[in-house]
Amino acid sequence: MKNVVIGFLGTTLDRRGKDSRWERWRPTVAVCQHENLLINRFHLLHNARDLSLAEQIREDITAISPETEVILDRIEFKNPWDFEEVFSGLLDYSHGFHFDRENEEYLLHITTGTHVSQICMFLLTEAGFFPGKLLQTGPGRGNTPPGSFEIIDLDLSRYDSIARRFAQQTHDDISFLKSGIQTRNQDFNRLISEVEKVTLRSSAPMLLMGPTGAGKSRLAQQIYALKKQHNMVSGQLVEVNCAMLRGDMALSVLFGHRKGAFTGATENRPGLLQTANKGILFLDEIGELGSDEQSMLLRAIEEKRYLPVGSDQEVESDFQLICGTNRDLKADVKKGGFREDLFARIKFWSFRLPGLTERIEDIEPNIVFELQNRSREAGKAVIFSSEARTAYLKFAVSSEARWPGNFRDLNTSISRMAILAEGHRICMDDVKNEITRLESEWTSEDTRENYSDSPMTEITSLIGRQASSSLDLFDRIQLAEVIKICRKCKSLAEAGRKLFSESRKQRGKVNDSDRLRKYLQRFDLTWDMVSKLIIDD
Amino acid sequence: MIHIDGSTGEGGGQILRTSLALSMCTGKPFRITNIRAKRPKPGLLRQHLTAVNAAQSICQADVTGADISSLSLTFVPGQVNPGAYSFAVGTAGSATLVLQTILPPLLCAKESSTIHLEGGTHNPWAPPFHFLKQAFLPLIERMGAWFSAEITQWGFYPAGGGKCIFRITPPAEKLLNIDLTERGRLIRSEVLTAVANIPWEIADDECKLIARGTRFPIDRFRAENVSSSGPGNVAMLEMEFENSRAFFTGFGEMGTSRNKVAHLVSSSANRFFACGAAIDEHMADQLLIPMALAGKGSFTTRAPTSHTTTNIEIIRSFLDIQIQISEIRKGVWKIWNG
Repeated sequence: MKNVVIGFLGTTLDRRGKDSRWERWRPTVAVCQHENLLINRFHLLHNARDLSLAEQIREDITAISPETEVILDRIEFKNPWDFEEVFSGLLDYSHGFHFDRENEEYLLHITTGTHVSQICMFLLTEAGFFPGKLLQTGPGRGNTPPGSFEIIDLDLSRYDSIARRFAQQTHDDISFLKSGIQTRNQDFNRLISEVEKVTLRSSAPMLLMGPTGAGKSRLAQQIYALKKQHNMVSGQLVEVNCAMLRGDMALSVLFGHRKGAFTGATENRPGLLQTANKGILFLDEIGELGSDEQSMLLRAIEEKRYLPVGSDQEVESDFQLICGTNRDLKADVKKGGFREDLFARIKFWSFRLPGLTERIEDIEPNIVFELQNRSREAGKAVIFSSEARTAYLKFAVSSEARWPGNFRDLNTSISRMAILAEGHRICMDDVKNEITRLESEWTSEDTRENYSDSPMTEITSLIGRQASSSLDLFDRIQLAEVIKICRKCKSLAEAGRKLFSESRKQRGKVNDSDRLRKYLQRFDLTWDMVSKLIIDD
Repeated sequence: MIHIDGSTGEGGGQILRTSLALSMCTGKPFRITNIRAKRPKPGLLRQHLTAVNAAQSICQADVTGADISSLSLTFVPGQVNPGAYSFAVGTAGSATLVLQTILPPLLCAKESSTIHLEGGTHNPWAPPFHFLKQAFLPLIERMGAWFSAEITQWGFYPAGGGKCIFRITPPAEKLLNIDLTERGRLIRSEVLTAVANIPWEIADDECKLIARGTRFPIDRFRAENVSSSGPGNVAMLEMEFENSRAFFTGFGEMGTSRNKVAHLVSSSANRFFACGAAIDEHMADQLLIPMALAGKGSFTTRAPTSHTTTNIEIIRSFLDIQIQISEIRKGVWKIWNG
């Protein structure tokens, strides 16, 4: 086994002047001066400004310890006291480091560097990003070398108390992933604790499977927030529903385009993959993605680079991919609807979120949670009467309750009762009405099937639920048809020509594009939004 | 397979070095356990590992257990190949201890060898380069070998970085017997003090203080400013008798006054001069192996240290010889074999 040390250059302690430097303890050099510690390689992290000191230290180590190879690794911090910067810098360093654990043992020297870097080293070692032990060194009497050293293995039981505190943190993280809902279903809880581990230890793609309303999207949001909390992402969360990405513009929406790539491409557009750089891209309903998009996405995941539409220059984007699906992707792969290689890539970590009926013991905690949310919104406690609560719960867990929309249905149902209830108190009557409403909704299930294809829904997703419900039916029907035409056209001009074809014939000089643009503006819509389907839900 | 208990007697690295040397000379494999078991940092340290690796490389031995802090080691030697070798010792560990390990087998070889060493050349607890060059190797030359020794850079603790070269030509047949019972008249005595990267006046003062402290005349004294990568100071006194040589060393370090360094050298030289033995105790340790390999030899020295008795025990494990010790007069002991 070779011993490999990773440590910061001590810009103060390692700098002891030219002539008296051997008489004083210099932590980095001293690491290689111990008779009972043989270091085969030393990765000395330093910034550009301290290069000459680093070189001096390398020379001295080579003299004192011919067995040691010193590698100067430059790592630049604008502010070495900034936790986020140092942590993410070290995390990047650990990602780029080729760890060969079969032949090498790693020691993280935590005596040098700012206390921020010490803490970050500790955390990264504890979290396993640096698969090694901590090396703590101290001066001898009278500040003489080599002094003492101690190797701290965080896996050992004497550090259990530290580990326990981390366990508490883990518990908090798990609770965080569950949005604070005290779920009781054991399978679900096991699943979430796995998700938590994966979230904090991996940036490989995750696939969240499960029926609609099982909470995929919410979980993706919580994963992002947890990563953000642990400084593991610096970019944003970009959520896209692939079902909404149809037509010619889908490629451009995802991968961006160059100005002039096609008619109507009047500006450079970065694309959602670029927006997700250093963050997370959540592609919901991944099974709906077209074949061109699938192959481009595959390349973007594999190489972290891709070509925007109409560009001959590749761009880079480093994002973590989370995909959601309610379809059986394996079956899609067999039928040829989904690329097998892409499927293999995106399911590196796959999790199946159970539907509500598979975890009926979680209905109650979800009700509690949803009521808390309502109470917060209302600024007043929204409660069930005990009789109403029992009745609702009895129905909710019964076999009559099919909950096809899973937790989304349950939450909507609670919201409805909370809004309709008099004086923030949900009574027996409210529950009875709600049950009737749910039952009738579930019996007309067929209409639900086409729900997402209805133009009304598209309007809602384009301009928001509130704006949509304030429109007259007249306007809504008109807008829906206009959007439908727009979707089929390649550009604003083409859509304008189609929509205003009759008036065109009568007038001499027209500007159809302008007319259409102005029409859309009335609804705060732009051509981009309509044609490229940015979902603003 | 010879089994050596590393915790025997003084239980230090000397047991390992003697075992390695004799194993190579005799071709007998050995297994050592409890290496440095009684020491605060038990097991193999880096300097011992360098010695093991040096031994391994001159005879292509099969070695198991050659790891830091390892408490046991198995060494199966191959044919000793004389030639040119370089060994570097870390932590400013003594380069001369590496030489001590490989010198006996190279003395038994048919051809000459050139050994480049890097590391500490003047360390406390190890024979300094000048002891080897001025006192020890001239005595071995009397056993039929020929040497040259050169130092190009001095290596002091803690910076190390010393460089020296030894050329070793073994005797034509075998090592000759040597008789060092009587030392004869003192014919020459020299003081050499050296400083590196500290004021030269320290060396100069030490020179004068030693000359003033000895109860015998000093023929020549030199205080030198030497080239070394770190700071260092050593005071050395060399004595040549008609039939013997002796060497005394004192090291200056932070917090030790030049007075004290000089006194250490002159007082131990005075004690030796007064007792009338032919060989000082450090030399005695070094002579045991060549004398045992020659098959016959004798010397007189002051009361044997545990170092010496332990060494004798290890030699007995490898060679079928009797080494005898007896006090021939008050304070003077004779050690002989054959």
